[in-house]
Amino acid sequence: MDRQAYGGIFRLYNGIPIVAFNIIVLEDEEIEVIITKAICDGLRIAATLGFRSLCILSVSEFAVKVLNGIHKQPWACIPDMRDAKEIITNMDSCLIANKKREGNKPAEYISTKMDIQDKIHKSIKAKIKKKKNKLSLRMKGKKEKDNEAGGDLGIQHGSEGEDDPNNIKENMSIKAKEGKKKNKLSEKRRKNENEHKAGAEKLGSEGEDGSIDLKCSEVDNSEKPRKAGKREKSLSSMKSSESIEKISDGENEVYHVSSGDDDSSKGMKKWVMDYYQSRPGLTILHERIDEFIVAHEEQEEQAKIEREARVAEGGWTVVAHHKGRKKSTDAESGIAVGSVSQASVLDKMAKKKHKDVGLDFYRFQKREAQRTEVMMLQVKFEQHKKRIQQLRAARKFKPY
Amino acid sequence: MEGYGAKSESMELKLKELFKEVQLNYDSITLTNFIDETVSAIRDAIDTIPEDIKVGADIAPGFVRDVGADKVEFTFKKPNSIEIGGSYSTRSIAKPCTDVDVFVRMPKECFHEKDYLNHRYHAKRCLYLCVIKKYLSTSAGIKSIEWSTFLNEARKPVLVVYPVQELGELPGFFVRLIPTAPSMFNTLKLNLTRNNVRSLNQEKSAPQATPKYNGSILEDMFLEENMEFVRNVFFGWKELAEALILIKVWARHRGFIYAHDCFNGFLFSAVMSYLATDSGGKRINKSMKAMQIFRVTLDFIATSKLWEKGIPLQPQAQRSMLKEERMQYQQSFSILLFDSSGHHNLAFRITRSGFLELQEEATLTLNCINKCSDGGFEEAFMTKVDLPAKYDHHIRMNLKGNKEVSSSGFCLDNECWRMYEEKVRCLLDQGLGDRAKFIRVNWCRSSSHWNVEEGFSKFASDLLLVGILASSPETSFRLVDVGPSADKKDEAVKYRNFWGEKAELRRFKDGTIAESTLWECEQWERHVIIKRITEYVLLRHLHLSKENIVHAADQLDFSLFHGAGDPISFSGGLFVAFATLSKQLRSLKDIPLMVSSVQPLDSAFRFTSVFPPEPHPLADVKIVGRKSQKVTSTCVQPLEVMIQARHLILEGSGNWPMDDVAVEKTKSAFLLKIGESLQKSCGVACTASEEDVDVLMSGYAFRLKILHERGLGMLKKQVGNNRIKRITSKDKELFIRGQHSSMINGLQGRYPIYGPVVRLAKRWIASHLFSTSLGDEAVELLVAHLFLKPLPFYAPGSRITGFLRFLRLLSNFDWTFSPMIIDINSDLTEKDEKEITEKFLLSRKSFEGNVQHVEPAMYLATAYDTASEAWTLASPNTVELRRIMAYSRSSADFLTNLILQDQIESHGWERLFRTPLNNYDAIILLHNDKLPFPRRLLFRSEINQGRHIAQGDSSKEFHPCILSGDKCRGSEEMKNKLMVGFDPLRCFLEDLKREFPNKFKLWYDSLGGDTIGLTWVKPSSKKRAREEESEDIQNPIDVLRSAGELGKGFMRSIYLLKSPRHNS
Repeated sequence: MDRQAYGGIFRLYNGIPIVAFNIIVLEDEEIEVIITKAICDGLRIAATLGFRSLCILSVSEFAVKVLNGIHKQPWACIPDMRDAKEIITNMDSCLIANKKREGNKPAEYISTKMDIQDKIHKSIKAKIKKKKNKLSLRMKGKKEKDNEAGGDLGIQHGSEGEDDPNNIKENMSIKAKEGKKKNKLSEKRRKNENEHKAGAEKLGSEGEDGSIDLKCSEVDNSEKPRKAGKREKSLSSMKSSESIEKISDGENEVYHVSSGDDDSSKGMKKWVMDYYQSRPGLTILHERIDEFIVAHEEQEEQAKIEREARVAEGGWTVVAHHKGRKKSTDAESGIAVGSVSQASVLDKMAKKKHKDVGLDFYRFQKREAQRTEVMMLQVKFEQHKKRIQQLRAARKFKPY
Repeated sequence: MEGYGAKSESMELKLKELFKEVQLNYDSITLTNFIDETVSAIRDAIDTIPEDIKVGADIAPGFVRDVGADKVEFTFKKPNSIEIGGSYSTRSIAKPCTDVDVFVRMPKECFHEKDYLNHRYHAKRCLYLCVIKKYLSTSAGIKSIEWSTFLNEARKPVLVVYPVQELGELPGFFVRLIPTAPSMFNTLKLNLTRNNVRSLNQEKSAPQATPKYNGSILEDMFLEENMEFVRNVFFGWKELAEALILIKVWARHRGFIYAHDCFNGFLFSAVMSYLATDSGGKRINKSMKAMQIFRVTLDFIATSKLWEKGIPLQPQAQRSMLKEERMQYQQSFSILLFDSSGHHNLAFRITRSGFLELQEEATLTLNCINKCSDGGFEEAFMTKVDLPAKYDHHIRMNLKGNKEVSSSGFCLDNECWRMYEEKVRCLLDQGLGDRAKFIRVNWCRSSSHWNVEEGFSKFASDLLLVGILASSPETSFRLVDVGPSADKKDEAVKYRNFWGEKAELRRFKDGTIAESTLWECEQWERHVIIKRITEYVLLRHLHLSKENIVHAADQLDFSLFHGAGDPISFSGGLFVAFATLSKQLRSLKDIPLMVSSVQPLDSAFRFTSVFPPEPHPLADVKIVGRKSQKVTSTCVQPLEVMIQARHLILEGSGNWPMDDVAVEKTKSAFLLKIGESLQKSCGVACTASEEDVDVLMSGYAFRLKILHERGLGMLKKQVGNNRIKRITSKDKELFIRGQHSSMINGLQGRYPIYGPVVRLAKRWIASHLFSTSLGDEAVELLVAHLFLKPLPFYAPGSRITGFLRFLRLLSNFDWTFSPMIIDINSDLTEKDEKEITEKFLLSRKSFEGNVQHVEPAMYLATAYDTASEAWTLASPNTVELRRIMAYSRSSADFLTNLILQDQIESHGWERLFRTPLNNYDAIILLHNDKLPFPRRLLFRSEINQGRHIAQGDSSKEFHPCILSGDKCRGSEEMKNKLMVGFDPLRCFLEDLKREFPNKFKLWYDSLGGDTIGLTWVKPSSKKRAREEESEDIQNPIDVLRSAGELGKGFMRSIYLLKSPRHNS
């Protein structure tokens, strides 16, 4: 009876949802483990989509710690974690943070009501074809599988979809997906407008906090310029170039922003959290730096080996100026490579006495020098004149 | 030599331009015709006045009463002649004062031979003008007639006539009618020893001489003759007239020179005539250029010893004077300049202090000419040296309705206002002693719409202004003034009389017992001592109420206060803490580093931080245990400290990493080690993030940084190869900051006023939301320039003056065409300066076509940074700079008015720091109770315009104060609550910049303001960029809403004032 599933939703940095997924859970695992798995799945999708930058929010503190490497990973998700770590390291930036449950209603909706896995994969494929975006996206992944909540919703769903539950659900999620797709794929835009709206609103209506409302209204706005035949927008910019006169009624209201005490993705709470997270204590910092240094040295070593390989290949000995201590012999090959620093050469050069004949040796040289001097003076005079014209233009001579 | 030639050439060109601005075109026929017609119209009108009108006191009863004249009846006769005189006749009018003087020679028949007595002459003179005025005002060609005074002497009114016709060249043109009375009286009767004001005589005592009164009459008698003399010298001598114009421009910039008790245009022309004739040794000759004549004249004024002996315009008159007579002159007047007749001292009005001032200014200007880069042109002719900028302290006295001023009549030998000026000056002089270098008192007449019939009472409504030049801070901030010793009875009594209850008998360390006055106060309020003294003295000796005296000294201090006092008082503790820290750092044994030096970087260590941190009870080991009673703040401001250290193993081995990231990581590893070690050995707390390591010690948080000299070398090479690719490594940055810090520290030691001025300047910059544009270090350098190159002033001696000059410097400096060279330890050689100029020209050359966008817009060259790369490379850009300049100009004008004029509203001074919010496209207001230091906020910002876009709740996650409830918990937990260097404003700004790059520009106050200003960034003009941009255009409201989202819990409300303009 209990339907166990997990899922996630990807949003743009401004909160607009673009991809969602859910997967039915078959094995019987701890809730925390499943959440971790969900995040790993999300990461895989993100990697397939080619996202370069992510911010992952999850209800589970444990999962976040596991992914951040603070806690040890449970054995059940070792393979998943291996993938996930690789994906994370390949990302330009990836932030994994914890988020309280209340603010995450849309994800809950996805995890419980939306369950057509293969369709999602189709849409993902479609997206991959069109997607050119390299902009920073924020993945707002909400993974969850809560036995209690899931059970509740399952019952609800059961009673609702007695006749043809699959059909209804399918319809709905397709709508939602099409709406989302349309944001990126411009072709069927006008045709599907109503559907899009419905989808977006459906998503939006699930939200309780202000941030979801925002997302909804933004999607709304994005319609107008398109109606006006404006240029197509790429996936990353679902923004309107609408001028202020066209503001809809909803925008005249003073928009209310919550205190955000329950939302750690933005605002004061995030800053305070960031502050504490950036100061984990001296020992951990030490470890991090040590790790870095080790990795760095390895890298250097690698580079050195490559260099040597190159040298061996061509049969040439590359003599490079070494910074640091002067070496008289190359450590690897034993060849003497005398290298003099540039500065000392310059120094020596400067010390050398000039034995050249001065430039005023011949009369014609003197005359020429005089002439150039006069020329120089003339040029200077012209410069002054020009300068004064500029000053005059700036009304610099008005004494009072 | 070459340099000199170029300099003088450029000077010639500049002067030429200046003359174009101020000279009148005397060759223009329209102009001469216009003036001739106007004067002849006046002449004709006066000609129509019927003869034999009986004139009595009833025409101007107020004047006759106040001047104290008895028999004034006469019969009107037409003037003997009406001639153009003054500067128009010598072709030396300097615009914008384009008035023409016309001498009206009064006929002898109207006066009795004894009319020189008891102001009868003055009264009749006035009545004569009244008649003329009456008839002129009916004339068709005349628009209006007003009364004015001759050189600020109330008993000698003149008529100012505005013609109906106007000439575009001469806006506001008017003719001054000045009555003259050649050979009216016997000059012997007006000898300086004679008494001619009988009311001055007391019974049974010898009649008191009235030299000033006599001079006032003699002046009228010889006016035409002297003018004739000057005119003869000036006739056909173009350079001399030009030099006179230069002097006039120069003097007008120094308003207090062009005053009644100092010089005027005529006196200058007389001095120049003297120098150009035989009697003056022909020091000015025909081969000289205007600038040379200018210099010679100033030099004569500044250095000549003849001023006290007497300068004769005519040599023969000089010879005839007896020695005794001259002695008498010297006693009566401070300066002697005998006119061509030899009977009259042209300089009879000039006071000693006025003349000293003139000499000072002349000396300073000569200095400018010799020392300044462009031959002193800017300083001499373009810079305003007015009372607020020149003097360190300014007192403004409102004497309206004060009976004391004219208690013994308005006019005796001297006029009552002049006597009162002298009285105030003497009082202040005695009260301040050597604290003041120079005191100048001036009761100038604004002379707007005076009516002679009403008498003199109206003059009291003008403000009396005092300027005080403070001597060195050690003297002027002294706490105790030692008076005469107790043994000297007479002097002690005098001292007691002067000081009243303030005087006390004290025993000093050296054993002397003396009368003294003690001005006890905190260290940080010592600059108020002068104000306290002046107020005490003036209130004690003059019948004034306190609100009628305004002494500008501490009015801006409110902006620096944190709570009730100035936080600069915490500096002492800070230095002790720093000394302990550096000692401990050096003595660390268990680290592989040799700490060679510890240098403070933060501005709090050089007294230039607006808010030096208070010691925080939770950051101190000793105090943490105790229960502190005060509510303390959550945030601690970290103070950066630079450590120069050598690694014992790595240094020699060559294993030191080579790339930037690795170096930084290695350095932070060392810092962590240092932190741990400190924690172990001294028990101080240490908290660290990946970038910063903070040590909490004696209530302060020190942020440690390591300078690695190797890093500097790495950088230099890169810069050498490619100038455009400016890589500033962390080490270079640290190095420069270290250099800057020690230089400013040295400067601060030389000029104690420097610190407060910088703090005011920084506060001003921040409160007008320029924190992003002008860095703290740049402000420090700008203020340093005021102190290092003060000409044409002395280095500022008070914070208000310094601040005013800072504002003026910012707005007047020619940023586009000149580099500002700040040579703190005077270690720049001529070669260096040349190099700087070349670099500067190079930086400007690439933008030659487009003056609008030069970079850096503000070129600040110092010994450690000749290319201006350290502080002003990226900001301010030209647009920002223009904005800053506009703001500083209006603030400077406002501050000038605050000093000079009675305020309309009491909050005037605060307005200097209140920024107008309507100059931004959008405004984000913040919750002030979520600012890290809410007490630093000057005013809570409110806005009542634009569209209210969003509103936000305040977060409960962060409190700037640690609440008393939290106190009960353990000290460890309390310590964890401390946030070192946490600044939500900065976080918010970073988030905004990251989320909306190139969307808008942010203006904010880093010192704790609650406002962020937004201006939309215009889409760049390049076509491709625009294409990209147009895809990125968003509804401004949405942008602002999502911007608000980013500031959840911190943002109070958002207003949209202007939407961005799109050209798509």
